[in-house]
Amino acid sequence: MSLNRRRFLRHSLTALGGASLYSAFGNMRALAAAASHTTFPAGDFKALVCIFLNGGNDSFNSVVPYSASQYADYRSSRSVLIANGGVAFDQATIQANALSPLAVQPGLPGGPPSDGGSYGLHPALAEMRQLFNTGKVAIVGNVGTLLHPVTQAEYQAGTVAVPPQLFSHSDQSIYWQSSRPDDANANGWGGRMADRLYTGNTGTVPLCISLAENNLFQRGDIVSSYGMSPEGVEKLSYLGDGPESWVIPPNEDGFAAYNALLAADTQEHVFERSFANSTRNSIANYEVVDAALSAAAPLATAFPDTRMGSQLKMAARLIQVRAALGMSRQIFYVSQGAYDTHNNQVDDQQWNFSQLSQALKAFYDATVELGVASSVTTFTASDFGRSLGVNVDGTDHGWGGHHFVMGGAVRGQRFYGAMPSLRYDNNPDETGFGQIIPTTSVDQYAATMAAWFGLSATEIADIFPSLSEFNQANLRFLG
Amino acid sequence: MQIRLAHCLMLFVLGLPACAVAQGLSHWPDAGMRSGFEAADVGPYKDADAARFLTQATFGPTLEDIAHLRAVGYRNWLNEQFAAPVATQVPYLNWVEGLPPNPDGNNTVNDHTRMETWSINSVGTPDPSRGMVIPTDQLRQRMAFALSEIFVVSSKNGTLTYEPWALASYYDMLAANAFGNYRDLLEDVTLHPAMGIYLTHLANQKANTTLNIRPDENYAREVLQLFSIGLAQLNTDGSPVLVGGQPVPTYSQATVTGFAAVFTGWNWNNTGCGPTTYVCCDENNYSNCGRYDHNIPSWKLPMQPVEAFHDSTSNKQLLDYPGVALPGGVLAAGGDATAELNAALDNIFEHPNVGPFIARRLIQRLVTSNPSAAYIQRVASAFNNNGSGVRGDLKAVLRAILLDSEARYGPWQYPSIFGKLREPLLKNTQLWRAMEARTETGRVETLSPYPGIEDWYGQGPLRSPSVFNFFQPDYRQSGEISSLALYSPEFQILTDSNIVSTNNRLFSLSFCFYSEGESCWTNGHGAVMKLNTVRDAALANSNPGALLDRYSLLLMSGQMSPFMHQTLLNRLNTLDEEPNRPLSRQRIQHALYLILNSPEYSIQK
Repeated sequence: MSLNRRRFLRHSLTALGGASLYSAFGNMRALAAAASHTTFPAGDFKALVCIFLNGGNDSFNSVVPYSASQYADYRSSRSVLIANGGVAFDQATIQANALSPLAVQPGLPGGPPSDGGSYGLHPALAEMRQLFNTGKVAIVGNVGTLLHPVTQAEYQAGTVAVPPQLFSHSDQSIYWQSSRPDDANANGWGGRMADRLYTGNTGTVPLCISLAENNLFQRGDIVSSYGMSPEGVEKLSYLGDGPESWVIPPNEDGFAAYNALLAADTQEHVFERSFANSTRNSIANYEVVDAALSAAAPLATAFPDTRMGSQLKMAARLIQVRAALGMSRQIFYVSQGAYDTHNNQVDDQQWNFSQLSQALKAFYDATVELGVASSVTTFTASDFGRSLGVNVDGTDHGWGGHHFVMGGAVRGQRFYGAMPSLRYDNNPDETGFGQIIPTTSVDQYAATMAAWFGLSATEIADIFPSLSEFNQANLRFLG
Repeated sequence: MQIRLAHCLMLFVLGLPACAVAQGLSHWPDAGMRSGFEAADVGPYKDADAARFLTQATFGPTLEDIAHLRAVGYRNWLNEQFAAPVATQVPYLNWVEGLPPNPDGNNTVNDHTRMETWSINSVGTPDPSRGMVIPTDQLRQRMAFALSEIFVVSSKNGTLTYEPWALASYYDMLAANAFGNYRDLLEDVTLHPAMGIYLTHLANQKANTTLNIRPDENYAREVLQLFSIGLAQLNTDGSPVLVGGQPVPTYSQATVTGFAAVFTGWNWNNTGCGPTTYVCCDENNYSNCGRYDHNIPSWKLPMQPVEAFHDSTSNKQLLDYPGVALPGGVLAAGGDATAELNAALDNIFEHPNVGPFIARRLIQRLVTSNPSAAYIQRVASAFNNNGSGVRGDLKAVLRAILLDSEARYGPWQYPSIFGKLREPLLKNTQLWRAMEARTETGRVETLSPYPGIEDWYGQGPLRSPSVFNFFQPDYRQSGEISSLALYSPEFQILTDSNIVSTNNRLFSLSFCFYSEGESCWTNGHGAVMKLNTVRDAALANSNPGALLDRYSLLLMSGQMSPFMHQTLLNRLNTLDEEPNRPLSRQRIQHALYLILNSPEYSIQK
């Protein structure tokens, strides 16, 4: 052991109170040992794609009833039509964008909406509607963060614990991504799945890849995510292969100096070590990803030239090169904003949805092109649903909301979960302030995907400790 | 003198370090020795101490500022800064608007123009709109930038993207209030039209039971959560109040509903409105009044009330806390828009959370990601009472933050965790200040690369992706930082792709643009920021070790470890003179690049 290394350890233990560092590493080792999955057999490939709708999508204007009684309830909350400066769709528009759900399959959940109503999609979700009506998309009704099932009476009396800081963007995004409203410091459910699966990948690139921001969803105890630009990999100019490397002469001694400063475990300061680790990882990963992408043929499927299109195109390309990356499991994170439509909701949602819907359709087509449509499942998530009540041309923060699941493995063309009443007065499904109380928990929604992804029941119970609070551990919208 | 670490860490006398960190051949920063018995606000006694202070209080030390601070001392320097003339952005935009159009389009005012004036004021370069006056209000501008990361508005909002005057005016408002009172700041933030657009309380209206319209809750929620008190009740030292082991919420949905009703009836300022300009906001024109152009008073002046749209008839549940002035925190019905707004902002301002909430955020922006509870408490106490019985005095808060023993001696007190990851934008400004960078014309295009600077750095002035800023105060980098339960806000934008793009941008700034010319293809029209490489040429030729000492002082407050010094020196000594590439300049450029992207420099300590 070198002097530096000894100093580092002693210093860390002295300054940081000793046990914490070792115990943290100890936990990681224990978890690593528990990761049960050896290499997956050839052909056993699965990918999950999280589409996070930043800001809290108004799903009550995404999946909208047009049958008389449900539409009347909708209009009691959203009384001013779009044509008159409000946010409400007219009945005919929704009917023209109708969904045609399949009948219930005996013994299985999923079918027409639970309230017996007829629903259509926001007109800008035309491609999503087509995918629903051809069995590739399912709708999961009224999903939200929950610790236990809770009724209106229980919520108003405060007799059942609910997630802390409901209606706050930051907190509810965290709980959607961690599925742990019992623990504000928990990591993400994508990351926790990856912790248990990553040993099945033979390559070095992290199982979780973000094409958008740094996110909690993909953070595990062991596995951290790789974040890359949807436009592709850029390399460091100073190290000879970057966009402006031509500016300086050959620089081998510079590489050596640069790398010496970044060398592992030589920095005395915790933050310096973290900075060095992150930089080294970034360089190592971009080399591998760039080599794989450079060797691949272009996709035939055309993607829209939007940020959403670019993100999903890159996800498709990374799926395409999965063998070169040594990846049997992949978890992607893409995001789109701004859905925080306190005002100007009609225009903003139209803009967002048309981009979302077109990009999702291209992505589905690309998975068909690559022969992996049934191995790739895409789902939406968001901070929260929005309030039933309206403030002229927008809506406020809510709680439960409807979500989409897409892929060849999805038992599509069906609604799952319960559709809440959208009535303004005397609505048993809302908090008292116009926010809808979820009837399906994020745990159930997520655990259904975890089961499809290959996690065992024991692992799922471990990843989602509150799942046992709910009476249906698998919503059966997959497989 | 060598002292064993284990013998001296964590031993303090009266909060001061009893001994300093030893140095050796490892990566320990060369901390030097200090008696530790002088008061924290006396000094600085060394150039390195002056540079550390200036790194926290400005956009980066210069040789001149280090000498000046050493001459006048911390307290006098602060008083000078409190009195320094205020540099503003709106007049710069007006000046550019008045220039003749040119084919390049850079006399058209847009968000790039705002980046120019931000750069001139923050870096302190000659201002062509003012006869090349050099702005000197570094502390005010640094504080304004910190405030812009707390009281967030952003050009990433579709409506504000093309409103540079509104955003410049907002930034000027933050700068104007930087040394004022928090209560005034809160009111000016609340009533600025840029905020009114951003958090949608402009043209917010009272409930309409016929149409089932309710007041917009957006500003009501975020002013509480992000600008003032946060979600959980705090002790003065910033720790959460626990009841039965659980944190206690500061407010409920009823409170948000109450504040939302207060913030009704506010609309564009009517100054300048009329038949020949733009529609005045009143009872009959509430939704379609106000702005029609970018550079008009209503984008820059506080919003005004239209009483017909203000909720004057309902009792409003506001914050309830021990000692609250309103009985039960309830504002009784009947007030007009202005009276209710004042009562509501007073109700927020007097909440005991505000001191520790603001203290922690400002300490994180300027000094360290993980202030001790005692440090937060000292700063919060200064917020609560400036010594003359005044609450909310931001001058007192800044003095408390910068002259605290932890700010001044933190690296010796907590050597492995003190400090913060430098923001990429602040690396950029520090480089330009350290190297006396200038453009030929005073105009600055270098903060407007393609794509926008926020796509390289993960941040740009008033360009946050959301009201939650580029990074959040409670973000924890996964891995060791998270395992140790430390906070590391700036790591939130240290994504794999930002690591590369930030590094490559700093590569461009180091290697492309220098006083004798430029190496990269540009079309800068004299608006490219060039490093003053002439200043250090002789030193670089004759004594590269001394060159590194100079850069260690300017960029790293003298904290470069002997290991790093030796590593860089080896690199500089193997460079060769080449055609059009004098050895001196190459040494300067490689030294700067390697420092700017090193782990040791990247953590401000």
